[in-house]
Amino acid sequence: MIPNVAPAPADSAEPTAAAVLPQAPRQSAAKRYSGSKLLGSPASIAGVIWLAALVAASLTAPLWLPFKTEDQDFTAVLSGPTAAHWLGTDELGRDLLSRIFASAASTLGTSMITVIVAVGLGTLLAMLAAAAGERAENAISRVTEIMMSLPGTVIILAVIGAVGTNIPLIMAILGVLISAGMYRVILGQAKSLQSQLYVDAAKVDGVSTVGISLRHVLPGLTNTIVVQSALIFAVGMLIQAGLAFIGFGPPIPQPSWGGMIQGASQHVYDAPWLMVPTGAVLALTVLAANAIGNALGKSPNATASHLPSAAARRQRAKAVAAIAAATPAPEDAPKDTLSVRNLSVGVDNGVRLVTDVSFDVEPGTVLGLVGESGCGKTMTALSLLGLLPSGVSVTGGQILWNGKNLAAATDKDMEGIRGRDIALISQEPMRALDPMFTVGYQLTAAIRRLRGMGRADSKAEALSLLEKVGIVDAARILKTYPHQISGGMAQRVAIALALSGRPRLLVADEPTTALDVTVQAEILSLLRSLVKDTGMSVVMVTHDLGVVADLCDQVAVMYAGEVVENGRTDNILDNPRHPYTLALLAADPHANHAADMPERLATINGQVPQPKDWPGTCRFAARCQFAGSACLVPIPLLPSGTGDGVVRCVTADELAVDGLDWVATDVPSHHVLNLVEHRTAEKDHA
Amino acid sequence: MALFITKRLLMALATVLVVAVLAFLLVHAMPGSPGAVSLGAGATQEAIDEVNQRLGWNDPLLVQFFSWLGAAAQGDLGISLIDGRSVSTDLASRLPVTASLAAGATLLSAVLGIALGVTAAVRGGTVDRIIGGAAGMAVALPAFWIGIIFVYLLAVQSSVFPATGYVPFEDSPQDWALSLALPVITLAVGGAAFIARQTRASMLEALQQEHIRTLRATATPTWKILYVHALRYASLPIVAGIALQFIQLFGGSVIAEQLFAMPGLGQAVQNSVSTHDAPSVQGVVVIATVVVVAVNLVLELATKFLDPKLRAS
Repeated sequence: MIPNVAPAPADSAEPTAAAVLPQAPRQSAAKRYSGSKLLGSPASIAGVIWLAALVAASLTAPLWLPFKTEDQDFTAVLSGPTAAHWLGTDELGRDLLSRIFASAASTLGTSMITVIVAVGLGTLLAMLAAAAGERAENAISRVTEIMMSLPGTVIILAVIGAVGTNIPLIMAILGVLISAGMYRVILGQAKSLQSQLYVDAAKVDGVSTVGISLRHVLPGLTNTIVVQSALIFAVGMLIQAGLAFIGFGPPIPQPSWGGMIQGASQHVYDAPWLMVPTGAVLALTVLAANAIGNALGKSPNATASHLPSAAARRQRAKAVAAIAAATPAPEDAPKDTLSVRNLSVGVDNGVRLVTDVSFDVEPGTVLGLVGESGCGKTMTALSLLGLLPSGVSVTGGQILWNGKNLAAATDKDMEGIRGRDIALISQEPMRALDPMFTVGYQLTAAIRRLRGMGRADSKAEALSLLEKVGIVDAARILKTYPHQISGGMAQRVAIALALSGRPRLLVADEPTTALDVTVQAEILSLLRSLVKDTGMSVVMVTHDLGVVADLCDQVAVMYAGEVVENGRTDNILDNPRHPYTLALLAADPHANHAADMPERLATINGQVPQPKDWPGTCRFAARCQFAGSACLVPIPLLPSGTGDGVVRCVTADELAVDGLDWVATDVPSHHVLNLVEHRTAEKDHA
Repeated sequence: MALFITKRLLMALATVLVVAVLAFLLVHAMPGSPGAVSLGAGATQEAIDEVNQRLGWNDPLLVQFFSWLGAAAQGDLGISLIDGRSVSTDLASRLPVTASLAAGATLLSAVLGIALGVTAAVRGGTVDRIIGGAAGMAVALPAFWIGIIFVYLLAVQSSVFPATGYVPFEDSPQDWALSLALPVITLAVGGAAFIARQTRASMLEALQQEHIRTLRATATPTWKILYVHALRYASLPIVAGIALQFIQLFGGSVIAEQLFAMPGLGQAVQNSVSTHDAPSVQGVVVIATVVVVAVNLVLELATKFLDPKLRAS
């Protein structure tokens, strides 16, 4: 009967696709729980109105209620709703409406006692544990664990035995029991706030522990506190009603919701209506509090799911059918050649993430997709496998592969392509492997599925694949779980997994970014030899021009969702035609030779604009050192003059003729550094 | 693992001891001495003093506590002040009632809750909204209200189930099941809603993990991704949720026992609190704690066993 206020499970569901989806600017903690969110859902508006009306009606009850709570009308005992008694009467002819509303204020008020004690004590303990270090945290956590594993109802009843039915005191003790759950909810958040850099800075500045907790930690907890308060409020009301129901409510003549339902239960045979009004008011009040809590809290969202729900998949199937109908059947193309034509990818709310992207990948060659974060590289790569996160889909164009348009393929068709024709390696090998299953299980399951092998054969094949990707003690690795191996080893396993269906095209999404530098080189050389040995082609997403120079035959430079330059790697690296390519090269420490290494590395001012802010003109113009009035129109992709290269810039020819350099520019971060130095000097001085 | 189990066992023991002290203190704070309670109104002061003396009420608190603890460790929880029966014997006959009630309700909540939660997460759209709405309603309605409605609909109107009472398993397994059905369903409504929400959130979180994309990239069939890989990943928080739910349902049985007139622990604690029967209150608090702590311990070990990271360490 005493619900433990468990950590809201939804809170941990962080949308992983957030990086590529347009994000609302960070809101302050104070703003997040204020009006906009509360009024965002009809349920919470209704909840607020109901609670406010109930409190107002109850506090003013003596002024408007038609009957006193103890008035007995013996002409209308156990009556249903009538003109005189709108909600009917009980077994003594007392007016239900009057009794329900008269007892509302005390029910809500005493439930608030539970909220205040539980939230106050829980928050205090959490902030104390977060501020006072590991030993204090352990001690407090042990105590709360004990509190959470107690049979709360039985304890509360024993307390009632000792102190009698003193409702405010009992609700306060209930609050103490619930505070353990509150502590658990808050602790993680308080700890993460406590470890923020600005808190460290405040500590260095000599702000006291209490000051930090109050000024920096508490404000960040506000939203959670409000959400939990609403939920605990509901719990308090239910428990109070439950206690009154079993006879531990307020002293007898005083009405209480639980007591009234108890009375009604005696007449369920002859007057079932009696159950309805009190039950409905109690349920509505609890619903109102829950609705407010849920509206303010983070609701679990399915938008970042890697496997969209059945409903979302049906919707996507419809969209795919529309694309298939809109585009003509693909022409005959050479085998194992990937041709992406005018591909567009967008969020379902209309925001474009990739526009009009085209490139080709010949068998046995490597294409590099280069650009800063947020340029649409990963979305382009994932669309090749039909693995865009839910809420994101291909909105136009074609992905031609062996006579099929993959952009218009059904999920079932794609299941035949994935793994067998086109395989994927992702950025973080540790997260790409299922932590719950052994490497051996994951590898043999894929081999059996993709190659139709038996159990024994698949195990032998798994061993040989692991050896092929350079794992020496393959037999041991098969028995391990992903968390037991290193990042580099995990990436080798992930590559083996990708190779298990003998794909003809490998999509590699920044496969070395998360790895140590030495391991990066090993993985790159492994990929190079795999391309040579198997003759498969690779689409390599990267922001590292060193990787491009090392591995890629072709490069497509992407900026803000479109290709700005495309051509052979050597042409583009030696003779970049687009200012963005030029800037990337100038900003890359590895691309500058030791001899002509500039004193200060070039930077590109500003950042990639959010997809919703992409202009209709040249999208790079705002950050470009060479931009002029000619750049303020839509720019087409034109031949660059070198080989079959193309470039999206009106000044490309000038750049080629004048041989201009992207020069280093001041950025605000230098000011920050100066400030830090200044402050350190001051401290030393003092 | 052995170290972990030892630690948890010690924690469990500490919990029970803390509760024993707490229960002892609470009982001593109850109004009326044991003599006054057991002899009732109209007893002479001498008679009351005599009983108090015999029960050791005038000994120092520590002496009283340790003599109670020593006896309790041997299974003797004292004698009821009201009817003079052994508290241990009384509670031993009541424990199976509450245990079957709580276990049945937890089991039903888990089965229903996991099925509904997985369905909501997997199907999405309208199905998700309907299940979410129903779960929201179910957690807002108090169990005792739901119970009365069930009695009205299923026992009074259609007499499918007996409205009240409990038939011991030994007497008739079939009637035992029938007598448990309504109370178990009553308690399971809220429990299933809670577990459904937990399951839905955990499944959605599991489906956001990157390894799901790897599984799709290697052409793993959808059913296998959902019911083998995602559910396996989600199983840890779900089992933790079930453990929480058991504590709650064990407490919730107080209401169900009152409503359906079942002779369980809940009824015992309610009666003994009303009559200020100190040894009974003390006994039932300790027994309830032991059961809840033991079940929690088992479920926690199960959670650790499900997690390869913790299993290995």
